Amino acid sequence: MRKALIVAQSEFVTLVKSKAFLVGLILMPVVMGTSIMLVRATKDATDMKDRTFAIVDYTGVVAEPFKAVANLYNSGTPSAMDTVLPRKGARFIPVEIKPSEGNPEELRLDLSNRVRKQELFAFVEVPAEILDPASTTSIRYYSDHPSYNALPQWLRATINAVVLNERFRRASIDRALVVRLTKQAPIDELGLFERGADGEIKAAEEVNAARAYGIPVAVLALMYITIMTSAPQLLNSVIEEKMSRISEVLIGSVTPFELMMGKLLGGAATSIVLCGIYIAGGLIVVQYWGGYASAVTPSILGWFLLYLTLALFIFGSLFVAIGAACNDLKDSQNMMTPVMLLVMIPVFTAGTVLRAPDGTLATVLSLVPTAAPFLMLLRICLQPGPPMWQIVVSVVIMTCTALAVVWAAGKIFRTGLLMQGKSATLGEMVKWVTAK
Amino acid sequence: MSNAISLTGVTKQFNGTRAVDDLSLSVPAGSIYGFIGPNGSGKTTTLRMIMHILLPDRGEIEVLGSRDTAAARDRVGYLPEERGLYKKMTIRRLLRYYGRLKGASISDIDAASDYWMGRMELPGLLDRQIETLSKGMSQKIQFVAAIIANPALLILNEPFSGLDPVNAHVLKDAVLEMRQRGATVVFSTHDMATAERMCDRIFMIFRGRKVLDGTLESIQSEYGADTVRLRTSQGAAALVDMPDVEAVNDFGQLQEVRLKGDPQAFLARLAARASVYHFEVTRPSLQDIFVRIAKP
Repeated sequence: MRKALIVAQSEFVTLVKSKAFLVGLILMPVVMGTSIMLVRATKDATDMKDRTFAIVDYTGVVAEPFKAVANLYNSGTPSAMDTVLPRKGARFIPVEIKPSEGNPEELRLDLSNRVRKQELFAFVEVPAEILDPASTTSIRYYSDHPSYNALPQWLRATINAVVLNERFRRASIDRALVVRLTKQAPIDELGLFERGADGEIKAAEEVNAARAYGIPVAVLALMYITIMTSAPQLLNSVIEEKMSRISEVLIGSVTPFELMMGKLLGGAATSIVLCGIYIAGGLIVVQYWGGYASAVTPSILGWFLLYLTLALFIFGSLFVAIGAACNDLKDSQNMMTPVMLLVMIPVFTAGTVLRAPDGTLATVLSLVPTAAPFLMLLRICLQPGPPMWQIVVSVVIMTCTALAVVWAAGKIFRTGLLMQGKSATLGEMVKWVTAK
Repeated sequence: MSNAISLTGVTKQFNGTRAVDDLSLSVPAGSIYGFIGPNGSGKTTTLRMIMHILLPDRGEIEVLGSRDTAAARDRVGYLPEERGLYKKMTIRRLLRYYGRLKGASISDIDAASDYWMGRMELPGLLDRQIETLSKGMSQKIQFVAAIIANPALLILNEPFSGLDPVNAHVLKDAVLEMRQRGATVVFSTHDMATAERMCDRIFMIFRGRKVLDGTLESIQSEYGADTVRLRTSQGAAALVDMPDVEAVNDFGQLQEVRLKGDPQAFLARLAARASVYHFEVTRPSLQDIFVRIAKP
């Protein structure tokens, strides 16, 4: 073990002094911070280009009030229409086209050609039946920009507001009164009451989306980023030693198992330091922006550290074994893919766990040893958290898996390290593991 | 004299091929022992088994009095045939790392580093990064890394290959100094002249089996005095179609001839063909013995 610690210390110093570590430490938060600031700075000013569109009104009563609402919208004046939101981006300029008496298909073709020539951005048809509350007809929107949805969304809200006004008017009902009478009460999402240490009853706090979902997702992201950056570094380290023929010198001094354990410990220590720095930085940021630092409890940090360590041993061993079995980086890329998928699949299923953290699927997935560091941790971060027995079972399963993977990787490492000239096949690796 | 290494009936197979076959060997403590043999004959496999890097399929290996060769590892310095260094490390950090893996303290490593860097004619370079060193410098650093913890047994696989004569001389002196300090030195080489000059005992392995083992003198005497070194006015042409010549090794200015018959009778016949400037009856060189064994 003493020699494994010497290897670990050397690995740690090498990794911490590496450019990759410094880039990860400085560049990633800088890039993320800049991105957040850019998004905040530009979110209301991303698109200010006018969109001119045609409106073909078959009701004969919608176009005029609609144009009046559009004018108010474009001039930035608040609208009396309760469903029309204030303008944030581009102006939407309507051009009224009177319906032709002939074939409507001809008109549609003509307007389509004008869109193609970029005289118009789109055109919209308001069918005559729309004023009938029993009708199931739709407003039809035609455009060659299917990905641009700001205009159709605005049209749906605005035309519907005008149509509703007209329906109320025809029914001789005061719409303002209806709006007042049908106004819905909002719902406040709150936590639970509790009795404090001083015996006083503490009122329930309002549920905050950033606190309820933001922190768990951030913890999951940190786990994912750490494993995806740390484990492949171990592979690179083994391949470098193998390709530059350092391995044989080392295993003249330490056993292959000590060498591998040293690498795993060094890699784990580096990752924990990196995470510690990220977590400290993250806590300062969330405290500054919303005062959420208290949501990251010592218990969450403790579980994070435990799951991270176990995950690094499982995935690190796999990457170390691949490094020892491969002859160059190119071969190792192919072998890395299935292991990378093991890391990525739990992250893809995180949405399911977020929606129903105590559902059967979430429970089963979070007990799978390669998924537990992501999904069980996510469940722990989501209130009220999983039952303790599930956490204990997942830790026991992960520990057993880590021991088995480290043992198998040690056997591959021992044989693969001295093999030069060609990379091992999966079958050969299985043979090395099963050999006495 | 006790043995630093003892191998008894050691066999190692790879994919059904016997790389080392029933090998028994004793390396006396304090000696310089040369391993020779053609490529692929089992030298490296034997050295790796001594280092516990490979385990024998059969047989026993004892290193520095211990059957658990892993336990003796800290007292053994090892320079493998194919070697590399961490390019981004400084020499000081590398030597400390390798030395600590052998159980040495940092203060001892630093003192040894200063001494051996001077001995290798590389003073003041301890804080240089490895990637800035020339090939010869790197090889010398690799040697220093192997001896940094003052090993009792030093195993060197092709230590002089690729070195220029000046650096080879420096390294040879360092090897001899290690022996003077009491270390046992085992090295493999393809340079027969080096083996002849440096080794107390020579061991040759061929197709996994031991074919020579002893002092140079005993090996040479085993092969008799059937070799003549000569120089004539006609060079190698003077030896064409001579009936008692078994083999000729032509060095241009000098020919080494293996005879089947009496050297005096051969000299008389040769003098009838050409002027003889030099004629020396001698024992076969290690090179000659090697070629006799390994020639297909």
